[in-house]
Amino acid sequence: MNLSATIRGVVYRFADVKEVLAKANSPKSGDDLAGVSARDPVERVAARAVLSGITLAELRANPVVPWEIDSLTRMVESSLDESAYAAVKHLSVGQFREWLLETSTTGPILRSVAPGLTPEMAAAVCKLMSNMDLMTVGAKCEVVVRANNTLGLPGRLSSRLQPNHPTDDVEGILYSAREGLVYGCGDAVIGVNPATDTPESTAEILRRLNDLTTRNGVPTQNCVLSHVTVQMKALQLGCPMDLMFQSMSGSEKGNRAFGISVELMDEAYAMMKAKTSNRGPNFMYFETGQGSELSSDAHHGADQVTMEARCYGFARRYKPFLVNTVVGFIGPEYLENGPQITRAGLEDHFMGKLMGLPMGCDACFTYHARMNQDELECLKVLLGAAGCSYLMSLPVGDDIMLNYQSTSFHDIPSVRGLLGKRPTPEFDAWLCEKGILDGNVPGERFGDPTVLR
Amino acid sequence: MSFNPADHPGSITRALMADLRVRLAGADPLPPPPPLPNLRLPPERVFPTPQRRSNFAEAAARHTTALVGIGHVGTRYATDVVLQFQAELAVAHGAVDTVLPEAWITEHELLPLQSRVQTHREFLLRPDLGRRLDEASVQRLRQSAKKQVDIQPILADGLSAVACMGAGIELLEHFTKACQAQGWTVGTPMCARFARVWLEDEIGQEVGAKVSAILLGERPGLGTGDGMSAYLVYDPKIGCHDGNRNMMSNIHARGVSPEQAGKRLAALAGAMLDQKTSGVPLDLGRLGAMAAGLEGGYRAPEPRVRLVQLGAHPTGDAK
Repeated sequence: MNLSATIRGVVYRFADVKEVLAKANSPKSGDDLAGVSARDPVERVAARAVLSGITLAELRANPVVPWEIDSLTRMVESSLDESAYAAVKHLSVGQFREWLLETSTTGPILRSVAPGLTPEMAAAVCKLMSNMDLMTVGAKCEVVVRANNTLGLPGRLSSRLQPNHPTDDVEGILYSAREGLVYGCGDAVIGVNPATDTPESTAEILRRLNDLTTRNGVPTQNCVLSHVTVQMKALQLGCPMDLMFQSMSGSEKGNRAFGISVELMDEAYAMMKAKTSNRGPNFMYFETGQGSELSSDAHHGADQVTMEARCYGFARRYKPFLVNTVVGFIGPEYLENGPQITRAGLEDHFMGKLMGLPMGCDACFTYHARMNQDELECLKVLLGAAGCSYLMSLPVGDDIMLNYQSTSFHDIPSVRGLLGKRPTPEFDAWLCEKGILDGNVPGERFGDPTVLR
Repeated sequence: MSFNPADHPGSITRALMADLRVRLAGADPLPPPPPLPNLRLPPERVFPTPQRRSNFAEAAARHTTALVGIGHVGTRYATDVVLQFQAELAVAHGAVDTVLPEAWITEHELLPLQSRVQTHREFLLRPDLGRRLDEASVQRLRQSAKKQVDIQPILADGLSAVACMGAGIELLEHFTKACQAQGWTVGTPMCARFARVWLEDEIGQEVGAKVSAILLGERPGLGTGDGMSAYLVYDPKIGCHDGNRNMMSNIHARGVSPEQAGKRLAALAGAMLDQKTSGVPLDLGRLGAMAAGLEGGYRAPEPRVRLVQLGAHPTGDAK
């Protein structure tokens, strides 16, 4: 395996695949913080040149976290679809990029090879792609899932309604939820980040949300994003749980910091399969985001894009209904500014979709990152054009509990209008029936919360 | 005149394009616009104030500070909502961008300290450097600071120098007084620039404090940039983790007042001195009402105030 390249007479040598992957990465403050990034733009291109010649088989043989020390690597390795892998293993990363971009490589074909790809393969090709490359392939990927709604069909853009409240005042949560629904938001999920992580409050919020959606006949899913162990206890208490949530990390050590393991998630999945109130085959919801591994010192010297892809290797085991990359929440020490946050959102969406996951993106920033509202609005349109399955939605995009800026109730119908997209078919029919939408334009009752009981 | 391919023995496509050019020449690509509208003023929509909000917004405001019931123009915000939002965002960004002036520290007769961070950008990007003192500060601490104290309070900028210079200095005074009232020895008043929470470990270790208490500006939220947080740790030393600390957030005039917070933090420090521990193992049960507001990093809901008004407003600060 060649690990060196020459640019203008200067020879660049790299120690191993992990170093090549890291140095090929698009600039990220988190890789600088980890001390793994290229020292200058020319070395970055040299690393990309080396990477373009490495085969997918070589990537499989060189995971960034060795299987001896990481149960996630072992799980991905042992559950890989060997026939799908055999179809692509001989390609170099450069050839793989070209094959992905070919017009003849269609959505159904991408779906057939997805189970044969390791996270390192998705991350590697991502590093050779421009933002528009990432969007072009992302938009081709075909990932459709079903719970009470059918998410991810062509021409559809969904949203999570995020009615968070700093003290879990359920009435306050419900006011935000009602406001969001009449702007056409919430077809992916009505999902609350709770302030109090207890089974009782999780069950209580779920019951009250279920009352709202049942009373008004809203075809959607409800979820409270407490820790998975808390949700398991809430399920045992008895409550309508449409989706079960958990944050994920890309290494065993990182997941330990989140208080989870493959075994625990297997158990949670089995319990949910038996007890969920949702009618479809997909009922798990995961969140990820570049940099979380470094923040718990669990990155094993790898870059944050590759570690992020490893989260998707974990997530796909559970055929989730939603996977969400929370792209700007972690702060400027991992993603410094608008261009880095934008790039990360497109990378994560691409890698997740390539691996067969229903990717959404929380396009967002914290107030100490160098991003402004206009840049964030651009990212929402780019994600919509790239076929992102869903975005977040909050009142004015302002999370009054977590103190950051995300997508707003008003942004969702705006992006749909710009791109000619619609909500999920089930939700679309409900919106039209209520007069919130009139075909593909706002209807008479758009933005009118009194339409709901 | 109609197009007949038989008249064109060469490329039919080229002939078709030529024919179209002839036919379209001089014609405007769009029909004339409709007559000018009789433009009526749109209904005025405002950032909901108690006087003008809808019934829904009125009812919601009793339970949440989320901006709901704000209406829409097309699918977008009314102008008034845009201005309110931009003002809130500007306040938050302004607080983050403000660098604590060194002169402010000396004017307030505080011992000046600095982390290993050199610039504001580096402060945002390198939390590791913000957790350690630079060499000059270590020397200054060794020469000038009182040693072997019960409590070492440390004022710091954190992510809002604005908060540090506002509620922060008040909080330092109230906390110090409350500790002295208990008869504890309190360390030299000091203020650290470009400081992260963990900087209290090295400072506490250097001065030999039993409890290290860093009071620092918290990450601004929309419309707020003046909140302080406090983190206390027993037996501070390099290598302590977040599980070793207790914290209190939302300290400012509209949240927990600096005076109240000073008293509660002193009670917390007292519990640490009694139990000789802090963080997860610390039993807060014995603090009773004094424990209110401790732990739980979430901000209490805070009424949203109107930030933008046209004209010179009598209560506004001149700018």
